[in-house]
Amino acid sequence: MLALVIVLLPLVAGALLFLVPRDDARLSKSVGALVAATLVVLAFIERSQSWTWRWLTHPFIANIHFGPTYLSYWLVVLLTLCTFGAVLSTNVSRTRSMVAALLLLEGTMAGLFLARDLLVFALFWDAMLLPVFFALLSWGENPATAWRFFIYNFAGGLLLLLAVAAFGALTGTTDVIGNPAYHGIVSPWAPWILAGFAVAFLVKTPVWPLHTWMPPTYEATPAPMVAVVSAVQSKAGLYGFLAIALALFPSYFSAEVPVLVILAVISLLYGAFIALVQQNVKLIVAYSSLSHLGLILLAIASLDPIALRGALVYIVAHGLFSATLFIVLGYVEEREATRSLAHLGGLGWTNPRLTGAFCVAALAALGLPGLAGFAGELVILIGVYQGGYAWAVILALVAIVTAAAYMLRLLQGATQGPVRTDIPMRRDLTWLEGAAVAPLLFALLYFGVYPNALLGLHP
Amino acid sequence: MHLLPVPLADYTVLSTVMFLIGVCGVIVRRNPLIMLMSIELMFNAANLLFVTYARAWLNNAGHIFAFLVITVAAAEAAIGLAIVVIAFRSSERVDVDQVSALRG
Amino acid sequence: MMLLLALVVPLAGAALCWAFGPVLRSTAGWLATVAVAISFVLVLLTGSGHAALFSWMPGFDFGLMLDRLSLLWALIITGVGFLIHLYSIGYMDGDRAFARFFAYMNFFIFAMLLLVLSDNWIGLLVGWGLVGLASYFLIGFWFERRSAVAAAQKAFVINVVGDVGMMFAIFLIVANVHSISFSDAFSAASSFSPALLYAICFALFIGAAAKSAQVPLQTWLPDAMEGPTPVSALIHAATMVTAGVYLVARCAPLWDQSPSAQMLVGTIGALTAVSAAILGAVQWDIKRILAYSTMSQIGYMIMGVGIGAYAGGIAHFFTHAFFKAQLFLASGLIIHALRNEQDVRLMGGLAKRMPLAFWATLTGVLAISGIPGFSGFFSKDQIIAGALAHGHPWMYAVGIATAGITAYYMFRLLFITFLGEYRGNVDPAQLGIKREVQSSVAQEPEHHRAPAWVMGLPVAVLIAPTIAVGWLLFGSSRAPSPWSRFFAEQFSPGLTSAPAIPESLTTIITFCVVLLGIAIAALRYATQPARTNAVARLRAETERMPKVLVNAYYVDALIDLVFVKTARFLGALFGRVVDPHVVDAAVRESAASAQGLGSLVRELQSGLVRAYAFVIAIGVGCFLIYYLVSGVGH
Repeated sequence: MLALVIVLLPLVAGALLFLVPRDDARLSKSVGALVAATLVVLAFIERSQSWTWRWLTHPFIANIHFGPTYLSYWLVVLLTLCTFGAVLSTNVSRTRSMVAALLLLEGTMAGLFLARDLLVFALFWDAMLLPVFFALLSWGENPATAWRFFIYNFAGGLLLLLAVAAFGALTGTTDVIGNPAYHGIVSPWAPWILAGFAVAFLVKTPVWPLHTWMPPTYEATPAPMVAVVSAVQSKAGLYGFLAIALALFPSYFSAEVPVLVILAVISLLYGAFIALVQQNVKLIVAYSSLSHLGLILLAIASLDPIALRGALVYIVAHGLFSATLFIVLGYVEEREATRSLAHLGGLGWTNPRLTGAFCVAALAALGLPGLAGFAGELVILIGVYQGGYAWAVILALVAIVTAAAYMLRLLQGATQGPVRTDIPMRRDLTWLEGAAVAPLLFALLYFGVYPNALLGLHP
Repeated sequence: MHLLPVPLADYTVLSTVMFLIGVCGVIVRRNPLIMLMSIELMFNAANLLFVTYARAWLNNAGHIFAFLVITVAAAEAAIGLAIVVIAFRSSERVDVDQVSALRG
Repeated sequence: MMLLLALVVPLAGAALCWAFGPVLRSTAGWLATVAVAISFVLVLLTGSGHAALFSWMPGFDFGLMLDRLSLLWALIITGVGFLIHLYSIGYMDGDRAFARFFAYMNFFIFAMLLLVLSDNWIGLLVGWGLVGLASYFLIGFWFERRSAVAAAQKAFVINVVGDVGMMFAIFLIVANVHSISFSDAFSAASSFSPALLYAICFALFIGAAAKSAQVPLQTWLPDAMEGPTPVSALIHAATMVTAGVYLVARCAPLWDQSPSAQMLVGTIGALTAVSAAILGAVQWDIKRILAYSTMSQIGYMIMGVGIGAYAGGIAHFFTHAFFKAQLFLASGLIIHALRNEQDVRLMGGLAKRMPLAFWATLTGVLAISGIPGFSGFFSKDQIIAGALAHGHPWMYAVGIATAGITAYYMFRLLFITFLGEYRGNVDPAQLGIKREVQSSVAQEPEHHRAPAWVMGLPVAVLIAPTIAVGWLLFGSSRAPSPWSRFFAEQFSPGLTSAPAIPESLTTIITFCVVLLGIAIAALRYATQPARTNAVARLRAETERMPKVLVNAYYVDALIDLVFVKTARFLGALFGRVVDPHVVDAAVRESAASAQGLGSLVRELQSGLVRAYAFVIAIGVGCFLIYYLVSGVGH
């Protein structure tokens, strides 16, 4: 029942928020923050209860079935934390609509992660595109970006839906996610169904060469929303690989692994090198995401149990630091009205608290030991090495060195150097802005020192 | 066969001729009212066949369909006329070739 | 438990200084200093022990360990660290980020203690990364200077290269041992294949070389002198840069079984020792001279532990920590007094004006040059003799030659700085100094509130061990020395043979070479004509300097070309060519072909009702004809 509440509460609250007067930013932000905070608590409490309602019996059995699995529990916790931070940090024109969109996004993604039925999963897969699409249309400068985002992801979504329908038709039920009794499909059609799922997941993650929607989308989406999108929505694809591709198609998936390993390694290096030369701060983080998500895909594709543990740690870690980075970059943009490294600098003196938050997030992103990113990276690579991909490990290490270079370039370019006199001097973070990122930073540190907290619940 | 004083083929020919007249009317004429009438003519050609064969084969389905077609034709005429009136109000022309807003 | 406390106290100090810096103001310095002192006492009281703490990941347990090796390091870190903290209270006085400085320093002490106290690879790696971070923060402490920012970035990235090497070693170990504790790896080492052992040692040594500034990962250390001088003394001389030595000594059970890896480490150490010493002889910046000498001395240590002369290598770490910290602190006294002037050509004649700095530098120089009776003599001698005993005659030769060069450039520093006339008011151009901007540093302290003794006392205190520790450890004629007895259970003696040249003869040869170095330095800088003509001579020397040495063998340029430029090129290639013109072009092409198809079909949509009707009629006609011809229905 609680799972259903987690899905419905933000959806209802988000819809009701449109009743709040259009320009009452304060009220809508307080309501949004309250709902988001409640959801954080609920997400932590929610461990195992699930809720089912028979939806279809023909042509196959489909249930509206919500409940956390081990993996989705952490993803929902991550989602609620990031959304809470995003709502608190919202400071854009039309705040009410942004908060409402964030809540709708939270509800649809909670539905996606908590869904135990493939059909429900596919439904929320498409639904979660809508808030982002409308946000891109209303806050972005170029509608083409919105369409590019939507067509790319919706095409993936259609393939996903087809695959789900085929799966249901073949096996008679789609209520299979996280079902320990279900051991996977055996059918000559299975590779095609798996391919349908895989393409959707690869687009959403994204993975080279299906990534070209991502940089413009991340650049054009307002900071609070892109924080959630890059932190959590990008994990939908990886979650799909783990909970669907790997769990339902074990033997077919392992046959596809070599392709995935190669794509993952290409993404890993490709994103890292591009991030090294970007001037736009949001694009640096966007391309670094491409690289980091490639690492997680590599872990999944290696099929090694230790690497899969590391993948969970890194999924959470990447969510935390990329959300923080985008929120912080949003703060920077609000203050300095620019995204270009060429025009930034010297924030360390004028905005020490902002710089502190920026610094922790950037260091986590470059894999500083003691923060969560490092724990994930290290365990992933131990596993990938054990899985027999020593060459991939070496290339990943190259990407880690590159990550140090581009993250420091970003951090130093924005916060160090002489204090700029040609840009407006702005105040440091307010306590509210600090509160938006503080839980994320704390979690980065906590999971970095003690990653076992993420794995301790593991059966 | 005694139920039909006229040979079955004659009904069919009449119906075909009526239908072709209707087709030609729709294609050739530009006046929407005439076109609507031509469409009515095609409906009635079909109706004639339905009724004929219902009598010939002693199957009431044909009659039922004829009534259905008459109903649909009435509805069609109502909507069609309404569209025509609106189109005329906006353009004050009596030429369907001028109404091509749906051009791709 | 006390061990954990020793680790946590500096961390707490760092957190307090960082969070309450604006409130604490100058108290922050004392707070941090006391935290380090407490840590020192706790380590000393613990003596030895092991504490299992928590499970980092299922199967990966995290704990702390204090054995003789880590005890030595921990005492130096906290002991020398305490003195340098005290000194910093005076040196950093008036800086606008005073509290933040001490937060970083305390954080460094915490990270370094974590590095040496961990009983497992992960803890080692975490400490390894965090000392790199502390070093990054402190090099870039004055981050409004672009050169400091660039130096900090370079140091960090090169250290990440080292971290990555260590990570790879850890993958190799964990994949074979399925445990992260040192003891499991060491006890399993004998079952590893030689190739695997070599690979592990090689990867570990990448980490050691990056952290200890060994060839070819050495370029960051001279640039790291952008940091405040106490930082250079603590991090870039006494402690952090010797982490490589610690690593090799810690992993002695691995190295002992892989002679080829030992050969590699010894070779790199010897190479660094001599090449850095040569570069030290052509520097003008007082801190860069000391930086190159640090590199060179660490080269000695690495050579020592690499060839299996562990006690000697560690002894040199021990003595070096004192005399190099002292040299840096003394140079800090000068730099502080001369308002951030670091160029020795603009010094001179300081012996009378700054007696404490002079005596401290003098004892330091005597110690580092290996003058008998001073601490450096004993430890350096151990390494040089050890090289021969372990069967590496060419390292022996390199060690002796480097000792001579060391003596030359250290006395050069001493003579130029302290003898002759003060040249601070000479126009830099007359000395051949090219300066784009007068290096006026914004951090100029305005008010000196801290008592003068906080800077003087640590320097004075350090003179004692600089002279005395050698006697304490090796002075007695009985063999084995107290030092080797202290480490007897830590290291296996390894294969030694009676050297072809007896140890006493080695000592005499070395001493002669050292004297030669000193004599050359004296001839060039200390004679009466040299002192009176100092300006012209220094200018001539500046202009005659070989380009290859001034540019540090072009290693920087080479790294820039091979790695930095390549990475940027790849980034530009992927970002500006592949992404828009290949990957995205494919996407745009498929979109365009869908559009093309649409525009074809769109022509049919004329919007003319009669045209549609005509098409329908044709369609109906076609069906009719088809039915008539095929005869369906018959």
